[in-house]
Amino acid sequence: MAAEKTRTCIAQAASAAGMDTRLSRRGFLLFSACAVSSLAALGLCEAFGADPPLVVLDNAKGLILADPSRCVGCQRCELACTEFNDGRAQPSLSRIKIARALNYGPQGPSGGQDSRGIWGDGLVVQGVCRQCPHPVPCATACPEGAIVLDPKTGARVVDAKKCVGCRLCQRACPWGMMTFDEERQKASKCFLCNGKPKCVEACPSGALRFVPWRDITREGPPPMASIRVTTAAAAKDCAGCHIPATKKGARR
Amino acid sequence: MTATPGGFAGRVLRVDLSTGKFSTQDTVERYGDVLGGTGLGYQVLWEEVPQGTGPFDAANKLVFATGVLAGTSVPCSGRTAITAIYPSCWPKALVGSGHMGGQFAAKLKYAGYDAIIVEGRAERPVWLFVRDGHVELRDASHLWGSGIRRATLEISQEMGADCCVAAIGQAGEKLAPLATVVNSLSHSAGGVGGVMGSKNLKAIGVQGSGCVRIAGDKGQWERLVKFHLSILGANNQHVVPAFPSPESEYYSPGSRWVGEPGKRWGAARPPVEITGSIHSMSRIAYRTNSAAYFLGEQAWKHTVRGNGCTSCPIRCHTTLKVPAMATKYGLNEIAQGTCIALNFGRFFFPGLPGGPKGQAALEACMIGMNMADDMGIWSNYGQLQRDFIKLANDGVLQAKLGSAEYSSIPWDQWRAGDPAFLLDLIPRIGERRGELGNVLSQGSGGPFDHWGVPESAWEADRATTYWKMGHPKHHANEDDGQCGVIINTQYNRDAQCHSHTNFVRNGLPVHEQKRLSGELWGSPDSVDAPGHYTRMNPYKARRAQWALIRKELHDCLGLCNWMGPWVASPLKERGYRGDNSLESRFYSLATGRSLDREGLDLAGTRVFTLHRALTIRDMATADMRGAHDHVPQWVYEDPKGAQPFTQGTIRMDRADMALAMDMFYESMGWDKATGAPTRETYGRLGLDAVGQALAEKGLVPGAEK
Amino acid sequence: MTPEDTARLCEAAAQAVREASAELRLVDCAEVLEALAAEGHFAEEDTIGLEEARALLPGLLAAHPALAVLESRTGRTLHHAPEQLSRTYARILDRKGSPLLLMAEEIRANSRDYPRPVPAELFEGPPFELPPEDIAHAVAAMAESPDYQDISSVTTDTGAVYLFSSQHMERGYAMFLAEQTESLTLAP
Repeated sequence: MAAEKTRTCIAQAASAAGMDTRLSRRGFLLFSACAVSSLAALGLCEAFGADPPLVVLDNAKGLILADPSRCVGCQRCELACTEFNDGRAQPSLSRIKIARALNYGPQGPSGGQDSRGIWGDGLVVQGVCRQCPHPVPCATACPEGAIVLDPKTGARVVDAKKCVGCRLCQRACPWGMMTFDEERQKASKCFLCNGKPKCVEACPSGALRFVPWRDITREGPPPMASIRVTTAAAAKDCAGCHIPATKKGARR
Repeated sequence: MTATPGGFAGRVLRVDLSTGKFSTQDTVERYGDVLGGTGLGYQVLWEEVPQGTGPFDAANKLVFATGVLAGTSVPCSGRTAITAIYPSCWPKALVGSGHMGGQFAAKLKYAGYDAIIVEGRAERPVWLFVRDGHVELRDASHLWGSGIRRATLEISQEMGADCCVAAIGQAGEKLAPLATVVNSLSHSAGGVGGVMGSKNLKAIGVQGSGCVRIAGDKGQWERLVKFHLSILGANNQHVVPAFPSPESEYYSPGSRWVGEPGKRWGAARPPVEITGSIHSMSRIAYRTNSAAYFLGEQAWKHTVRGNGCTSCPIRCHTTLKVPAMATKYGLNEIAQGTCIALNFGRFFFPGLPGGPKGQAALEACMIGMNMADDMGIWSNYGQLQRDFIKLANDGVLQAKLGSAEYSSIPWDQWRAGDPAFLLDLIPRIGERRGELGNVLSQGSGGPFDHWGVPESAWEADRATTYWKMGHPKHHANEDDGQCGVIINTQYNRDAQCHSHTNFVRNGLPVHEQKRLSGELWGSPDSVDAPGHYTRMNPYKARRAQWALIRKELHDCLGLCNWMGPWVASPLKERGYRGDNSLESRFYSLATGRSLDREGLDLAGTRVFTLHRALTIRDMATADMRGAHDHVPQWVYEDPKGAQPFTQGTIRMDRADMALAMDMFYESMGWDKATGAPTRETYGRLGLDAVGQALAEKGLVPGAEK
Repeated sequence: MTPEDTARLCEAAAQAVREASAELRLVDCAEVLEALAAEGHFAEEDTIGLEEARALLPGLLAAHPALAVLESRTGRTLHHAPEQLSRTYARILDRKGSPLLLMAEEIRANSRDYPRPVPAELFEGPPFELPPEDIAHAVAAMAESPDYQDISSVTTDTGAVYLFSSQHMERGYAMFLAEQTESLTLAP
């Protein structure tokens, strides 16, 4: 049944893209070199409605860029993020992360002599959500499909109503950017504050800027091993697009 | 007082080092009336530390306390007060507080505490681990003898990168009265390091995932925070730039707002140019450069960035990078500081090649920042350095050190203004080595006690800037006439009050200051033009009272009195007005407990009066006027013989100052003859029990035995 | 010109002044008119409209609440928007062509309004940008000139030169204030 559904979806996608609906699934994929990103770019994910078989999120429209050479370590961004959004000052819950690298940089206090941070060379390396393109690690790992697209900003947002607090998303994020609100037992993450990020507004040195999105996930090694746990149903759906390559070329 | 839904963390942690036991108290129930910070400290001392307790006795208590607004995004809210029987207070130690910024205040709140009361004495060196309500005492024997930098590193390795460590260095371990407690590299609380050392407590590490709740509507809170940001100036709330700007009608070369568009953080990579509007909310951090202010234009090329306390956009600590430090002195290329700590090294030299803003001065400052904040040495607001110079020049050191010790000091380097001199001098003081190190690390009381130097000699010499009780002036008549003098009489250490000086040096022309001060304190006569003082009047008394109460209030709320109060602003459209009710508006929204300006000022007055009561009790006299509220002789003199109240002098007049104290005492509800609070005043302030206890000892006017 | 046209002209002119102020330029009515014409505010060959505007503009700009008038040292009547370009700064810009006047008027204003003497090195930086030798020459020239007899200097212990106007400040007070300012960076 699932395979049938997937075939239908792909056919629908192809049709919406103006492609030959009688293309076989394989043919469709071979026809379009980056079928998946095409799918995403065509905004077709929403067409699948409330039960999307594919965790393929459109790219975000905006991104928070952080410049360490301007960061003055005041933590006003962390405070604005939580105070103005949650009504409490709680940097441990902040969706932009400063405190963990403020003193000794990303390497931490056991990182040796040439560290960053206050006790090192002074540089504060901020942690900012990259609003990853497909495959979105946190969204893919979520067994409830609770990390969804904000239609306005394209931000990957935790839908608190769907979140069951399993914390798989935390383990999935290669940059450790997911937060977990112990009080509410829900995950949370940067949602770009509906297009007017409060951290950017709060920064007194202009170290944060809100710019058109681009993929920065390949810039610099991520600090954490991403433990990606993909549910069986999702894995099956991945297989729908990610089919093994053939030795022979495409048959047309 | 019942618990509040916001602001307070809710608990006070007690650590008895003698028994190793912990306990907690409800902050609001127990200490809500004194708010927190110094208020909490004074109440603990009043209730639990008997008269006659020495600073290094196990019975002394060390009260680390922050306030309701710390840990939030209220600008300039990163302060912790540390209150104890204060070691450098001479000749008899009395209540006093050190103050430190950095990250400690916020982290303490997130860990779940408003304060930590340290009691007793551990048998061997320990450090205190505090994380999210979990508390432990851990062995510090591997850290004892280490500097603050290493102690912080090793504790951070155990606790994690985001902990905040407040530690003592060698100076505190050796019970130097001039020892600090330091957190976050350069944030030092003066005078209290030795108390910590006497308790064998090396450090406190705090860490937490908790929060500070905002009881009020979060939208309203956000608007108030943004309003506060909009009325900020630069460091010390200087509200006009130091340079002519198309965005400002006024400028003032003496202003700390030195971040002119076109200047740049030259040691950032790549350098960061200052651009845009000087009033932009995303350019606040560029306004202040303390290193450039003190060391001149050369500092810009060495500036990495600004730094400072949690939540503060001002960044008054400048992070400097000077490669010569490694090659010439084997020290860190990077150092950071502000104000007196930034100048720690430079001030030891009567002269430096290249002058006070040359390369040697820069290097001396870098050495000072690196070494003093690692060994944890306090400058006593520069008195250490002034005393050193005077004692050297007067031949006292040569007479008292013994020939071996005296000749071991590289005096040639000192006379030549060679910064390398500090590599020898600073460790002597930090480790209390020899006669020099042992005596100078006691503060001015050291030479008074041990070298036969009469205090009167210091009181008569304006170059010492000595005030009383072992400490110097701190924004007295040189800044603010009678107000400054009144303020400097009130504490048991240097006053550490900036409310008044932030206003009178804010850079606005005197006619604007007078217009504002007329609105704030009832008359334009409450403020004089600099060095053109007029006779005392009740409005000046009111302003002095305001300055002291607000400073005490800031020390209770976790706010920075080096920035606040915020009664003037850079905004021409507001007539350069700030907001005199800002503190109470924040307090009300944060705690959910509505207090207006008068209500919160009443609490501040309560706290300030409790300090007075403690002083009276521990001096065993109500005659504060005679025994405590001293003004040194040099205040009443002028080197050129100018008369008081003429243009171009800061010389005060005795009769006028006596009247000033009369008016101040009256405004406080204190007895005019003695300057002691009356029974009625104690009652009015909710300090009945205090008034009663003092009356029983005959220490309340009208109840003398 | 109808009242609506007049209002439109007024706002367009004010906007032109604001834009010039943002670029740190003081403009006279002729320049404003030129800017408006370049923008196409006037229909082609509407010489009558242009002449009407020329006659109305001085009054409109002078009365506009967001604008300020500056009578230039050259005799021209200049306009600027104080929000973009403060009155103080505008006056400095106006005098830039004349170093003696530039320095003297700044010294007089400081001596009168704050009151305080001015460190000579202030004139080295923006917006004055006078080389140190020129400043020294100017001080000497002012001492000789009848127009600037009030301008005088004091030198502190630290060797800093401060300038003041004896019209508004006595020498002793100038010296006191100069030494006080120097001491601020030596004692926080």
